[in-house]
Amino acid sequence: MSVHTPPRTVSDGRKPRRPEATRTTANGRAAIGRIRRREAVAGILFVLPTLVIFGLFKFFPIAGAGAMSLTRYRLNGDVTWIGTDNYTRLFDDPHFWGSLGATATYVLVFVPLIMAVALAGAVLLNKIVRFSGTFRALLFVPYLSSFVMAGIVWSWIFASDGPLNTALDKIGAGPVPFLSGDQLLVLASLALVAVWKGFGYSMLVLLAGLKAQPAEVHEAARIDGANSRQAFWYITLPLLRPVLFFVLVIETIVGFQVFDTIYVMTGGGPNRASHSLIYFLYDEGFKFLDFGYASAVGMVLFAIVLILSLIQRRFVEGKDAK
Amino acid sequence: MTTSHPPVAHRSRARERLRRSGPGLALAVISLFTVAPLIAVVVLALSPKDAPTLPHAIPHSLTLDNITRIFDIGEFPVWLLNSLVYSAVSVVVILLTASMAAYALVRKRFPGRNVLLWAIVATLMVPMQATLIPTFILVARMDGVNTLWGLIMPTLANAQAVFLIRQFVRDLPDEIFDAARIDGAGEWRTFVAIVLPLIRPVLATLAIFVFLWHWNDLLWPLVVGQTDAARTLTVGLATLHTETVSTADIMSASLVSFIPCLIVFLVLQRHIVASITSSGVKG
Repeated sequence: MSVHTPPRTVSDGRKPRRPEATRTTANGRAAIGRIRRREAVAGILFVLPTLVIFGLFKFFPIAGAGAMSLTRYRLNGDVTWIGTDNYTRLFDDPHFWGSLGATATYVLVFVPLIMAVALAGAVLLNKIVRFSGTFRALLFVPYLSSFVMAGIVWSWIFASDGPLNTALDKIGAGPVPFLSGDQLLVLASLALVAVWKGFGYSMLVLLAGLKAQPAEVHEAARIDGANSRQAFWYITLPLLRPVLFFVLVIETIVGFQVFDTIYVMTGGGPNRASHSLIYFLYDEGFKFLDFGYASAVGMVLFAIVLILSLIQRRFVEGKDAK
Repeated sequence: MTTSHPPVAHRSRARERLRRSGPGLALAVISLFTVAPLIAVVVLALSPKDAPTLPHAIPHSLTLDNITRIFDIGEFPVWLLNSLVYSAVSVVVILLTASMAAYALVRKRFPGRNVLLWAIVATLMVPMQATLIPTFILVARMDGVNTLWGLIMPTLANAQAVFLIRQFVRDLPDEIFDAARIDGAGEWRTFVAIVLPLIRPVLATLAIFVFLWHWNDLLWPLVVGQTDAARTLTVGLATLHTETVSTADIMSASLVSFIPCLIVFLVLQRHIVASITSSGVKG
């Protein structure tokens, strides 16, 4: 939430009174100059390591990403400027639209699912008094694992002779081809893994939002005769809206970046069913070594994330303005 | 007959009991969803070779044989070491450089300060994947592919860290710095002896998250470490999974990859909740 507070200006956070400033002698002015200069030198020295690292590995690649997407780029240094050719090719590429579609479908399954589980976890944690620390830890613990490990475990769970299909077999529901069935099933299975791994974070953010709600409002609602369901729908949720929106945007961005579980669990298959945007980028870049084309895919992802960030920023600022 | 209470009261008391224990029961069910796969990993990793195990049977005994055996697989110990260096160096360097930068950006006036701050914060909107290709080309041109420094260096530019520490430094009272100056403390001394101890909560939080991000990272280590000896544990794990290793082996490797995260969490967990709530760190 606070991620988007605007940077402070030079003047605030500091008290304007400076004992030296009251003196106006030449000596005094020279002293002020010396102090200011020393401060500036110290500031630059402290910021220098970060400046170098960011300049080389953040600012430069960001500028390069846009430029590279306008070139045909080979690793041996063979670079040709081709203008917007990569983009026209991209928008004519059925595989690109397939990847974008698969990613969008994945997001549409993943985001509501993770929001629901995270919200349920947060609301329940907020209700209990005993063992709340234990439950919080138990629900958060998958967040510590990698998507790779999550993918490995759930590949085992989803396998045709795995525990899930063994159980389904016993009740006569037959084997379900979680990772090899139709596109929606495969994407939903991948989404489930990401929900398992990731909901603990959003749950804690939502829990914090719940804990910050003033008790008096809930008290007043109870006195006015609201039952717990009414209180939830008309008090808790509306008050939680900014936090819910923050979590929604964050998880949507996470959803668009899905890669690790796909790399481990399906390899983009079956039949490109789970070939996500980042998987497409990875293939074009590191399988076909088509760096310019892959950069154009990167710019598409950047555009998506930028739009989501701007929506969030606008929303947060609108709320502050009230 | 125990009709001392009318049936309505019975029902409402039962409902009251359900209302009280309902959330706990529901949480127990969700906990089962989160913890059961992890328990399965542990059991599968520790099941004796060729003995019947999950999902068809519960093994009669457990053994550490699989764990010791995977250290003989390929470059497994090297992957583990690579991951340790990648994560540990990143934590130390990011925490130090980001603290220094945040301190200067808040407390020192120098030309270009606001532009730099704005530029760093703006990079938060650029996803890492969008700059993956140019970063890789850059590292390749510097002969950093398949090297540890090539793996580590580009990930040290962590805007999230600078931003969060800055929030913390901004809230420190001016008087502390005035007092330090009056006591004759130099810039470095003020930073090490005053700023760093005061921002310890945010450093502890960031230590957890930076460690987890780097330890569990896949995409960047995957593209920059292309030989067996240059892989991190996560990449190695993904590689093992596509090869034909036994379930016991892949689960043992998973378990080994998970234990450091668990330790970091258990040691520093009291900071996690407080920090997620106040800042919104996202991995």
